[in-house]
Amino acid sequence: MNLFKNNKILFGAAFLLLAGGFIYGCEDDFLVGEAQGSLDEQTLANQNGVEGNLIGTYRMLGGGWDGFGLWGTGSSNWIFGGVATDNAYKGSEPGDQGPITDIELYNWSTGGTDEYVNDKWAALYEGVNRANSTIRLLDRLLENDPTSVPEDDANSIRGEALLLRAYYHFDAWRMWENIPYYFEDDEDFRKTNVDVDVVGNIINDLNQAISLLPDEPRNGEVGRVTSWTARALLGRVQVYSGDHGTALTTLREVRTSGPYDLEDNFQRVWTGFSDFANGPETILAFQASSNDGDPNGNNANFDMRLAFPHSGSPFGCCGFFQPSQNLVNFFVVDGNGLPLAMTDDTWNDRDDNLAAGAGVPVDPRLDWTVGRDGVPYKDWGNHESGWIRDRGYGGPYSPKKHVHEEASGAESNVGWNATHLNSVNWHLFRYADLLLLLAEAEVEEGSLDNALDIVNEIRRRAGAAAQGPGESADNIAVPIDDPSITWADYSIGEYDSFPNQDFARQAVRHERRLELAMEGQRFFDLKRWGIAEEVLNNFIEEEADRRAYLGGAAAFQERHNRYPIPSFQIDVSRVDGEDRLQQNTGW
Amino acid sequence: MYIRGKIFDIRDRIHQFLSHVKKTGAGLLLLILFCGTAVGQDIEVTGTVTSDAGETLPGVTILLQGTERGTTTDLDGTYTIMTPSDGVLVFSFIGFVGRNINIEGRTEIDVQLTERVAELDELIVTGYSVQRRGDITGSISTANVDNIANQTSSSALQRLDGSVSGVTVQTSGSPGARSTVRIRGVSSFQNNDPLYIIDGTPVEDDFANWLNPKDIESIQVLKDASAASIYGARANNGVIIIETKKGQEGAPQLSVDLRTGISSPVGGYDDFLILDALEYHDVVRRGSLNAGVSVPTNIYGDPGNPSIPSYIWPNNPEAGQTNSLTPFGITENDYLYGDPGNINQQIMPASRGTNWWDEVFGTAVSSDMNVAVSGGGDNNRYNVSFNYFDQEGTARDNRFQRGTIRVNTEFDIGRITIGENLSLARDESYGGIDLGGDAEDTIIGKNILSQPIVPVRDIGGNFASGKAVGLGNNSNPVKIASSNRNDINANNRIFGNAFARAEIISDQLLINSRFGFNLGNTTFTAFAPIFPEDSEPNFVNGFSEGRNEFQEWTWSNTLNYINTFAQSHNLTVLAGQEVTKTESRFITSSMNAYINTSLNSRYIQDALGDPDTKNTSTSGGESTLLSFFGKADYNFDDRYHLSFTIRRDGSSRFGEDNRWGVFPAASAGWRVSRESFMDSADFISNLMVRFGWGITGNQSIPTGRLFDQFGGSTGTTFYDITGTGSSIVSGFRSTEIGNRNLRWEENESYNLGVDLELYEGQFNFTFDVFQREVDDLLFNPPLPATAGQAAPPIQNVGKMRNRGFDFSVGYRGSISEDLIWNVNFNGTHYKNEILRIDGDQEFFSGPISGRGATISRNYVGQPIGAFFGMQADGIFQNWDEVDAHASQDGARPGRMRFMDTNGDGQVTAADRTVIGNPHPDFIGGLDLGARWKNWDLQTSFFGSFGNEIFDVQKEFYVFRLFNTNVRRDVLDDSAVLNIDGPAVVNNQRVTNAEVTNSDAKYPRLDDNDTFSSEFSSFYVEDGSYVRMRTLQIGYNIPPGTLPGVQNMRVYVQGENLFTITGYSSIDPSLPTSNVGGSAGNVRDQTIGVDRGTYPSNRSFSIGISATF
Repeated sequence: MNLFKNNKILFGAAFLLLAGGFIYGCEDDFLVGEAQGSLDEQTLANQNGVEGNLIGTYRMLGGGWDGFGLWGTGSSNWIFGGVATDNAYKGSEPGDQGPITDIELYNWSTGGTDEYVNDKWAALYEGVNRANSTIRLLDRLLENDPTSVPEDDANSIRGEALLLRAYYHFDAWRMWENIPYYFEDDEDFRKTNVDVDVVGNIINDLNQAISLLPDEPRNGEVGRVTSWTARALLGRVQVYSGDHGTALTTLREVRTSGPYDLEDNFQRVWTGFSDFANGPETILAFQASSNDGDPNGNNANFDMRLAFPHSGSPFGCCGFFQPSQNLVNFFVVDGNGLPLAMTDDTWNDRDDNLAAGAGVPVDPRLDWTVGRDGVPYKDWGNHESGWIRDRGYGGPYSPKKHVHEEASGAESNVGWNATHLNSVNWHLFRYADLLLLLAEAEVEEGSLDNALDIVNEIRRRAGAAAQGPGESADNIAVPIDDPSITWADYSIGEYDSFPNQDFARQAVRHERRLELAMEGQRFFDLKRWGIAEEVLNNFIEEEADRRAYLGGAAAFQERHNRYPIPSFQIDVSRVDGEDRLQQNTGW
Repeated sequence: MYIRGKIFDIRDRIHQFLSHVKKTGAGLLLLILFCGTAVGQDIEVTGTVTSDAGETLPGVTILLQGTERGTTTDLDGTYTIMTPSDGVLVFSFIGFVGRNINIEGRTEIDVQLTERVAELDELIVTGYSVQRRGDITGSISTANVDNIANQTSSSALQRLDGSVSGVTVQTSGSPGARSTVRIRGVSSFQNNDPLYIIDGTPVEDDFANWLNPKDIESIQVLKDASAASIYGARANNGVIIIETKKGQEGAPQLSVDLRTGISSPVGGYDDFLILDALEYHDVVRRGSLNAGVSVPTNIYGDPGNPSIPSYIWPNNPEAGQTNSLTPFGITENDYLYGDPGNINQQIMPASRGTNWWDEVFGTAVSSDMNVAVSGGGDNNRYNVSFNYFDQEGTARDNRFQRGTIRVNTEFDIGRITIGENLSLARDESYGGIDLGGDAEDTIIGKNILSQPIVPVRDIGGNFASGKAVGLGNNSNPVKIASSNRNDINANNRIFGNAFARAEIISDQLLINSRFGFNLGNTTFTAFAPIFPEDSEPNFVNGFSEGRNEFQEWTWSNTLNYINTFAQSHNLTVLAGQEVTKTESRFITSSMNAYINTSLNSRYIQDALGDPDTKNTSTSGGESTLLSFFGKADYNFDDRYHLSFTIRRDGSSRFGEDNRWGVFPAASAGWRVSRESFMDSADFISNLMVRFGWGITGNQSIPTGRLFDQFGGSTGTTFYDITGTGSSIVSGFRSTEIGNRNLRWEENESYNLGVDLELYEGQFNFTFDVFQREVDDLLFNPPLPATAGQAAPPIQNVGKMRNRGFDFSVGYRGSISEDLIWNVNFNGTHYKNEILRIDGDQEFFSGPISGRGATISRNYVGQPIGAFFGMQADGIFQNWDEVDAHASQDGARPGRMRFMDTNGDGQVTAADRTVIGNPHPDFIGGLDLGARWKNWDLQTSFFGSFGNEIFDVQKEFYVFRLFNTNVRRDVLDDSAVLNIDGPAVVNNQRVTNAEVTNSDAKYPRLDDNDTFSSEFSSFYVEDGSYVRMRTLQIGYNIPPGTLPGVQNMRVYVQGENLFTITGYSSIDPSLPTSNVGGSAGNVRDQTIGVDRGTYPSNRSFSIGISATF
C-alpha cells in the first residue's frame, strides 16, 4: 500500500501499461488477416491443382447441387428438352413447381420461367468457367516451368477442358442460340451475345481437343473424354448446325474406326448396375455416384430426383416428368412391328390408359421408357396405379429410364428422401444418338441405304430384350417373346427399305423419338428439324382433350425455338446503361 | 456547478444516476434506505429541515414510516411529530432527494436535504469516459431503464423498441429471438448491428440473451458520429453503451424480483384461414371446375354432394372408393406405419376441420427470478446478482431458459482501484428459436397451412399428414414441434472485464486499463425423424450436432486529464489505445439412420446408425483490430462547448495499403440559456444548440476476403471420374474472389440538435436533424453468371444516405401532492436512399425469394430492400380487356392484370419494377406514467406508419401453392365468371367470359392459373400499426408493513394488449429474415418481408419486487 503513495511508481506503472499496449499493437503481423479454411492459388499451382480444377469441370456435367438453384439446372434437360415437348408432362400436381408448367405451356414470359432459365444459364457458365480456370492454371504453370506437367498429361488436360468448354457452350447454344462464348483469357464477363460465332468456336475447341486428347481415357479413368469423344461431339455439332456433308465424314469415321458400339440390350443402356455402366455405347455421360461420402447425395442424379414415381411407390417422391399419352401411343406398332405412326393416321387415337394387357402390340422399348400399370418397373415389382401423384392431372404413366434397379444398390442412403437419389449415369451423348444423327445426315445427303442400315441396327438391338419380371442383374431383361411376359405383346421389325427421302427422313425421326424418348433431346430435335411449331401445336390441340390443363397452353410460335435469355443476366450484364446481352427475338 | 475531480468515481456516478432514474421514471419515487420495524413508546420529535445551502425549507412532508401519521414543516422549516422512539421518519420534498432517518430515541433531529441533481449535471457514460449531460454536444439518447424492465423478453435489446428516439428494433415473439437494432436507418448492405459497449467492453451481438436485463443500470445510445466516432471503425451503425449495476457503500442490501405470467400469440392463422373441411372442399371444387379439370373425388366423394369420409386413404387413384374400408385390400388389421415397403398402409380418420393453429399455438408460461446483493465498505463495492429466466414459446414444445450470475466488485488500494465486472450465463432453447428464417420450413409458415381435413393423428396414434392426392406436401406441424422439443441450442458465456485505474494526479490525471473478454460456446443438437406419413415421405432419420467456440479479448488503456483554467475554461483530454482479437471455431457433424431414436442414442458414433453417412466439418475465423484514439472537450463557462475526437484503427480485414483508417469528429454547442440576455426567461432552465460532424467506419466483413480462395466440397467439385458409381475424387474450384483493395465503409454524418428544458426539467424537448452518408459501402454484388459461381469479390461499391429527424418530448406534472404524472413521446423519421452503385450495375438483387422470384432489389435512388415485382393492375374483366392490354402470358378474364411498365407491348419479367418501400415514414413511442399515493401506473405505446409489407405467404393462402389452406375470404371475394369451366377450352376462347363481380379482391379460383401468383404489388400491403406495448399497475406496500422488508412493490402487467392495423396477416411487427451472404449478414435487404412470422406475445404477468 505504501508503495503506491509514491507518484513515481504510479507513473512507472502507467508507462508500462501503455507501453505494453503499444508494443503489442505494433507487432508487424498482428494485423495480417489470412483466409481460414480455404486453399490459395499457390497451393494449387501444381499438377494436382490443375487436375482438381479439371475434375471440378467434369462435375458440372451433372448441373447444380442442393442450394444451387431450382430444379432443372442439369445437363439432362428433362424440363427444357422433355417437358416442353410432346414426350412428357410436368407431372406431379397442379400447384407444384408452377414455373415448369409455364415452360410446358409455352408461357415463357413469366418470372417463373425466367428463374428456371437463369439457373440453367448459371450452371452452364459455371462449367465454362471451371474449364477456363483449368486451362488458365495449366498455362501459368507451364509458363513458369514447362516441365511441371508431363507433356501427355498437359495435352490431355487442355484437351479435356476444351472439350468440356465446348460441350457447355453447345448445351447453351441449343437452348438460346445467341450466347456469348468465353475463353480462358477473358476478363470481361459482360461480353455480348450478338453476332457471336458460337458454332465456329465450338468446332474450333473440339478440333483442338481432337489433336490434344489421347484415344483412350487417360489413366484408364472411364469418366474422361478422349479424342473420340471430341470427334463424336464434333459430328453432333455439325449435324445440329445443318452441315450434313461435313458431319457425314466426321461421324462415319467415328462409326468405322471409333471404339463405340451399341449395348447388347436396352437394359444395359440405362442402369444402376455399375458393372454395366460405361459400356461401349457411352460417349459422354455424367458419372453419377451415390454413397460416396457426400452428405446430401449431390453427385447422384440430383437433377432428376423429382422425376420418380410418387408416394405409393418405393421411391416416395415426387411424380414429375410423366410420359404423355401421345408418347405411349407412339410406341404402338403395326403387324410388321414397325411404328404404327409411319403408316396409320389413327395411331394417336387412344385416349385411355395403355396399361398391362391392353392388347395392342408395342415396341419393347416402351417398357424401358415408360412405367405402366401392371408392368414390372425394372425389378421393383409391377407399376401400380397408386404410384402416380395425381392421375387426374398428369395421367397414368411414370418415367423409367433413369430409375435404378433395386438390386443394383445404386440408391443413395443420404439426402432429402434418399430413395429417389441414385448413381445411374445420365447419358449426355450415347452411340445410338450418334448413329441416328449420322442417319439423319445420310438422309439429307441422299444416302438412304446407309440410313436404313443404321435404323435397322438400332431396331435390332431394341428387339434383343424386353422388360421381364426378374429381380437380378441377369434376368430383368428377357427375350421379347419370353413366356414370363404376360402384360404386353412386344413386336419390333426392321424396315425393308426406305423408298424415298421423305420416308427415310420420317423413319429416322420416328426412330430417334422411340430410342431417345425421355432423355432430354426431343425439343432440340424438333427445333433442328424445323417442325417444332407444327408438331407441338398439333400435340397440344389433341392432348388438351386428355389433359385439360394443356388447353391453357400458348400457341407455339417461331420465337419459342429459342428460350428467352434470363432477364436477370441481361440486367447484371448491362454496361453504362446499354444491354450487352440482347434478348432473343420475340421475348 | 461543474464536474469535479471525482468524475471518474463510480460511486458518484451510480448515486447520481439512481436519482435520475427515480426522477424520470415513475415520478417521485421514494427510496427507503433503512428499515424500521416495531413501534415503541411515543416521544415528541422536533427539528428543522434545511437545504444543503442552509436555507430552511417549508412544506417538507414528514411521515412516520409504515403509517399514515405525518406532518409538514412550517414556514420556518420546523416540525414536530409524535412518534415511537425507534421509528423511522421519512422526509420528502419536491426537487430534493428524500431521506429516511432512524429516530433512535432522539427528540431533536435536524435534517438537511440535498437538492436533486439537475438534468444537466447527470453523469453519462460515453466513449471511454463519463460526461456531464450538459457537456454533451453529440446526439446521445438515454433509454428509460424502468420501462425496459416492464417487459418480459429475454433480451434487453428487444425492449429498446420505441423507447429511444432514432432506434428501431425488429424481432419476433419467439422466446430468445434475435433483435435487429437499427439506429437512424440502415447504414450498409450488410452487417448493420450497432456496437455494444458493456461495462467498457465492446461486443457485437444481436441476441444479448446472456445479459440479464435486470442487471442493467443504464443504456445510452450514441447516435451520431460526433458521439460515436471515438469507436471508429466499428461505430458506423451507432454505439449502445450499457452499464450494469454496481455496488455502493453501505450495508448489504438484498433485493428480490419475481415475475410470472402467461402469454398467447397476438393473432393466428385461425383468424382468417378456412377451418371447416367442407368449406375448403368448395375451394378445391371451384379451382378444378374453373380449370376444366375433374374435381377430385378421392376424399370428399361426389363433388355435387361432398361429405367428410370416415377415413382418408393414403393414395387413392380411383374415384368412388373413398369411404369403404378396404379399397386396396388394406384393413385396420394390416395398418402399418413407417415401413418404406408399405408406405401406402397408413389410415387416417378424416377431420371435420382441424384447427392447425390451435394445435400448435396456445398459452405459455414465463417466469423471471432475480436475487441481488449489493453494498460496500470504505474500500470496496460489490454487486452480485443471480437470475433464472424461463419462457415458454406460445408455440408448443418451444422454450427458452437462462441462468446468469453477475459479480461486479471494486477495491480501492490507495489511489488505485481495481475490480471486475463478470457475467456467467447459460441459456438453452428447446425446439429451436425462430431466427426469422424461411417459415415454410418451420412450424410457423406453410406447415400451419395444412388442410383442415387432415387429422393430427392417424388411427394408430401416429402423426398424420397429407398422404393422399390433393392434400399437399406439408409436414404435420405438431409433429415437427414435438420432434424438435429435445433439440437444444445452448449458449455458455463468460463476459466481462478486469480493470485497474489510478489517479496519477488527484482529480486531474487518471489512468485506466481494462482487459475485456468475451468467451463463449454455442452448441446445438437436432434430430430429424422419419416422415412416412408425408406425401413426399422420408424414411431415414438423422441427427446432427455442432459447437461453436469463440473468444474475443479487448485490452484498452486510457489516460484522462481534466482541468479548469481561470475559473471558466474547462478542459478534458482523453488519449487511449486498444487492441482486440477475435477467434472462432465451429464444428458440425451429422449421421443418419439411427437404430434407436431415444434421447440416449443421440450421439454420433458408428454403431448407433449408418456410419457411412457420418459427416463432419469445421470452420473458423480470426481477426484483429488495433486502435489509437484521443478526445478533447473544452467549454467556456458552460456556454460554449467544443469537442474533438480522432481515432485511428488498423484492421486485419483489409490489405496492407488500406489497413489503417482515421476517423475524426468535431462538435460544438452553445448553451443559449446561459447567456445574459436570457436571464429574464428564467423558466428556461436549459436551451442548447448543438452541431456535430464526424466520420465513422464499418469493417464488418468476413476475414480473409482480400485473397482469391479455392476450395470445393464433395457435393460441388468432387466427381466420380473412374465411373465406380460410389466413389469420388477431389476437385477444386474458385470459391471466393478476393479484392486486395478493400477499405472501410465511411460514414460522414451531420447532426444539428436543440435541447430545451423548462421549469427545471419539468418539460423537456430534444430535437435532432441528421444526415448520414455512407460511402465506399462494402458489399459483394452478384456478377453475371458468366463469371462463375465463386462468391463475387467484396467491393467498396456505393453510397447510401439516411436523412431524418428524431425527437423526444416529455412533461411531468402533478395534480395534487398525491397524484403525479408524466408523459414522454419520442419519434423518428428517416429516409434511406441508395445514392450510387459503382461499376456497371444500377441494382443488387435482394437475398431472398419466395418460390417465384426475388422479392427485393436495391436500386439507385430507392431505399435498401425496396420490393420488386410486377405492378398489379386489377383483374381482367373480359376478353376485350385482355385484347386491349399488352400481351401477357396466361391472360384470361378473372386473372390478374400486370402493367407493361417498359411499354414494349409485352408483359414479361423485364416489366418488374419497384413496388413498395418497407421503411416507415414515422415511428413513435409514447410513455405515460402516473402515481397516486402508493399506486403507480405506467403504459407505453408504439406506432409505425407508412411502412409496407410484402406478404409472401399469399403464395400459399391466396394462391394455394402446394394445395395449402387458404383464406376464408377467397370464397366470397374471388372473381367469378358468368361461365363455368375455363375461359379457354381446347385452345378456343369462351368469348363471352366475363367477371360478374367487378369488385373482387382476388383472381378467380383456377388451378391452372400459375400467372396471377407472380410476385406483384398484389402482395404488398400497408404495414402501419399502433400497439399498446405495456401496461403496468403497481402498488407499493408501505414500508414497515412487513417486518424485515425495506421496500416492496407488487404489480400486474400486460403487454401487447391491443393493436390497431390494417395489415391482413397475423402480426405487422416483423422480424427481419435471417439471411447470410458471403459478405456477412444481409438481413436488412429483407425488411418488411413476411414469410410467416412467429407472432408477438400478448402477456399478462404479476410480479413482486422487494428489498431487505
